[in-house]
Amino acid sequence: MKPKADVSFAGAVSFWLLSAFFAVGFTTLAVRLKEIQVDGAANFRKEMQTQSFRRVKTAGVRGRIFDRNGAPLADNRLSLNIVVNPEAYRARKRGEKTEDLLMSAIAAAAKVVGRAPAVTEKSVGRHLRVELARPLTVWRDVTDAELARFSERNREFPGFDCVAEEERVYPEGASSVHLVGRVGREFIPDAPGEARANYSEKDLCGREGLEYQYDDYLRGMPGEDRVLVDARGYATSRETLIEPRDGFDLALTIDAGLQREAARLFGGLKGACVALDPRDGSVRALVSAPAYDPNECVPVFRREVYERLLKEPGKPLLNRATAGTYAPGSIFKPITALAALASGLNPADTYECIGWYELGGMKIRCSRTWGHGGENLAHALRDSCNPYFCHAGIMAGTNMISSVCREFGLGRRTGIDFPTDAAGLIPDAAAKAKRTADPAAAGWRLGDLAQMSIGQGLLLTTPIQMARMVAALGSGSLATPRLNSSIPASVRPLKISPRSLAAVREGMRQVVDGGTGRLAGEGVDANVIGKTGTAQVGLGPTKRKNVWFVAYATPTATSRTREPLAVALVVENGDSGGGTAAPMVAELLKAFYNSPSAEGNEPT
Amino acid sequence: MKNFLMRFDWLGFAAVVALVAIGAAALASAGAARGGAVMAAKWKSTLWTAAFGFVLYFALAAADYRRLLDWAATPAYALAIVLLVAVLAFGTVQFGGRRWLWFFQPSEVSKLCVIAFLAHHFGDADGGGPEWKTRFGGFLAASAAVLAPCALILLEPDLGTALVLVPAALVMLLAAGVWRKGLVAATAVALVCAAAVLGAVHEAERPGVSPERRAAILRCVPLKEHQISRVRTFLFPETDRMDSGYNLRQSMMTIGSGGLNGKGYGRGESIRRQLLPPMGIMNDFIFCVWAEEMGYIRGSLPLLALFALLCVATARTAARAGDGRGRLLALGVATLLFAHVYVNIGMSIGLTPITGLPLPFLSLGRTFLVTAMCGLGMVQSVAIHGTTNGRDTEE
Repeated sequence: MKPKADVSFAGAVSFWLLSAFFAVGFTTLAVRLKEIQVDGAANFRKEMQTQSFRRVKTAGVRGRIFDRNGAPLADNRLSLNIVVNPEAYRARKRGEKTEDLLMSAIAAAAKVVGRAPAVTEKSVGRHLRVELARPLTVWRDVTDAELARFSERNREFPGFDCVAEEERVYPEGASSVHLVGRVGREFIPDAPGEARANYSEKDLCGREGLEYQYDDYLRGMPGEDRVLVDARGYATSRETLIEPRDGFDLALTIDAGLQREAARLFGGLKGACVALDPRDGSVRALVSAPAYDPNECVPVFRREVYERLLKEPGKPLLNRATAGTYAPGSIFKPITALAALASGLNPADTYECIGWYELGGMKIRCSRTWGHGGENLAHALRDSCNPYFCHAGIMAGTNMISSVCREFGLGRRTGIDFPTDAAGLIPDAAAKAKRTADPAAAGWRLGDLAQMSIGQGLLLTTPIQMARMVAALGSGSLATPRLNSSIPASVRPLKISPRSLAAVREGMRQVVDGGTGRLAGEGVDANVIGKTGTAQVGLGPTKRKNVWFVAYATPTATSRTREPLAVALVVENGDSGGGTAAPMVAELLKAFYNSPSAEGNEPT
Repeated sequence: MKNFLMRFDWLGFAAVVALVAIGAAALASAGAARGGAVMAAKWKSTLWTAAFGFVLYFALAAADYRRLLDWAATPAYALAIVLLVAVLAFGTVQFGGRRWLWFFQPSEVSKLCVIAFLAHHFGDADGGGPEWKTRFGGFLAASAAVLAPCALILLEPDLGTALVLVPAALVMLLAAGVWRKGLVAATAVALVCAAAVLGAVHEAERPGVSPERRAAILRCVPLKEHQISRVRTFLFPETDRMDSGYNLRQSMMTIGSGGLNGKGYGRGESIRRQLLPPMGIMNDFIFCVWAEEMGYIRGSLPLLALFALLCVATARTAARAGDGRGRLLALGVATLLFAHVYVNIGMSIGLTPITGLPLPFLSLGRTFLVTAMCGLGMVQSVAIHGTTNGRDTEE
């Protein structure tokens, strides 16, 4: 055995050396922990907060759209949806997958609900990857019976929940689809300068029509939820930070009854109709036919529906009332008349119609092949005499006609608060040159002017332009059409002599009073003036006729409604303006002016 | 009996009792937060395991460690080797390593077996033993005795256990005087090698290094890809947020958010919201829970103080040990505990690479809990039966 002291010495050395070693180690730990827990505490706490919260944008309830009387054109209804919170089916054991657990729970729940779920394995997988912290909508719009069946056994399905969601509904259906438009769904965009939100609800967004035009107004302000998540991203709790603000309701100038009637008139026909108040441009009806039911596009505009509508020969997706451009035909003749009157035409002077108008070997035929004989302006309008207006147009010249067109707002957008607003075309030399392939034929000739004078040739107008035109002819001032009743009216007097206007109105009165448009006034309890139009489109086998009637009506003492109304109506491939369009306008005016009892007595 | 009570190391024992209590409290909080009846009840089963450990603790303390070493050191070592081979052959794979044999982890048990084996065979090196033990031959033999189980453990793979066993053995051999000069030099060389590996990984993983150059450098580094990624995380914790760096970032955030005073017992957010890997929260990352809920002043510092107390008390027993074997045994156990604490806490605050290693008395893990208590029981035996500073040193 070694001496005791030696062992003690070695022991002491080991003890102090090792203790020093331990001291260094523990001090290192303590210092580093102080750095983290004392110096870094605030930063780490903040990091924990930001890592753990997800900002979710929430949508407010979209505003509704009403007609002038408060009847809803776009409304909201509650849709009951069954959603599932993925947290309840998270994989907890090795070898489990949340996606599989969730899919089998959905499949089991589907047996109870009795309807196939609106999700696929793919969409569930996508939801788990992208929107894990948010509930997954499994069934939209469950019926009371389905909900009752599910509620009875909902204990078997933890994490499933029934939530009510606002869904868009269009009570007027197809009759106002082009006017009101439709909505889609999109994620709420971040406001400029705002930090990007983690998630966003899908908000309704306007895609067409007024839903698009007033999207910001209808949509309101998004709110924000804060969802607390764990490290895997599953939601553990949620709270509302900012309540979403509902969108504003929109009150229109539209008369829903008139709109419905206008849509009904078309039956299977293609065409458009615009009715407006000539005093301030308030649009009372705006219809394009054929139409489709916007409720088909809720909650989503499915691809197959879209493609079916796209392929339909009637092109129901096109809004003919504001985006359809047509040759106006004879309804343009009042413009030609005003141009000629401004150029010195005496309305009482007669022109001898021989059945055609000959110009450098080209013949422009009149509707009556043997000629009208001597016609003054009023008679020429009444009979829609082509040679008279070719003569009058050539007398006025292209520039004068163009300037009258400008006075009536033709060839440019009407300025209506609506997303589609075609400008149409008032042709001149440059416009013709651009549209003619053969340079030899590109020059602007008298023939072009003659064609323009009777509303043919390159001239293009939209139904709403024509409604506005006839409103201005009747009232003497040009109003910008408006749909939103809360925007101020914009009206400017025409710079046209009242005597010229009176002369044209007299002709238009005769059109309805025994002229080509006599059917337009039949049985209508209002004073109606108007003009028929029959525009030739295409040549040879594709030759068709688009037929028009424009009317300006003022109430009589017995009229139900005490306001004037301007109407433009076009029917594609019609027979004639007087035969096809005028009776339709009469029906519309009856709906507006005749009291219901009188209407009931009308022979049909 | 009087000797037993007089010489019993009450300080070390008190530290163990306090640590077991803290461990149960931390596990109770973590288990409740994790949810599920099994996890919520883990603290109770851990207390039962600790009770079993205390039985062994007192039994070993009462027994004379010299007789125990004579009788069991070599067979236990041999058995450990057999078990380590068996676990590689028949073990259960869990969390990416083949570590479990039936209900226990042989690698944990083998730590104590290696320490006891070294203490038994090299306790006489400094005096009375054969001359060769103090020379290079002794070093070779000791190295073989340590490195054989280490190699088997590394195959599991369990880097952490190897990482704590080597320093424990090193301290023992230095104290035993085995090839002292050479050992110091070898340690220096090993440290240089470690620094070289770190430097190489640093050079390869530094931002802006071309992939070819990175591959060329890493081909010279004898580490696996996942180990390299851990070293990389250790070196550049900020660059690697999603993979290996994720755990480090989360654990530092958890500890840091506890702040000076903590969030309150049972009010930790990290588990409820699963900010830390749920599998590790009651094992390797249990310190995070304690630090988050109790804070720096009431949680981290007292815990470090208790561990320091236990290590120093054990080292004091070594200093007072009457013979080389007892001294080495106590030194080995003290260093092993210290290494466990340092590596475990260090990995959650970015001081050491992340590796699976339990925090003594706190982590859920019965094998290591019982092993640690057996080791400390044997140290008590050294204090009772072999101290020189007692009132009656003669035997």
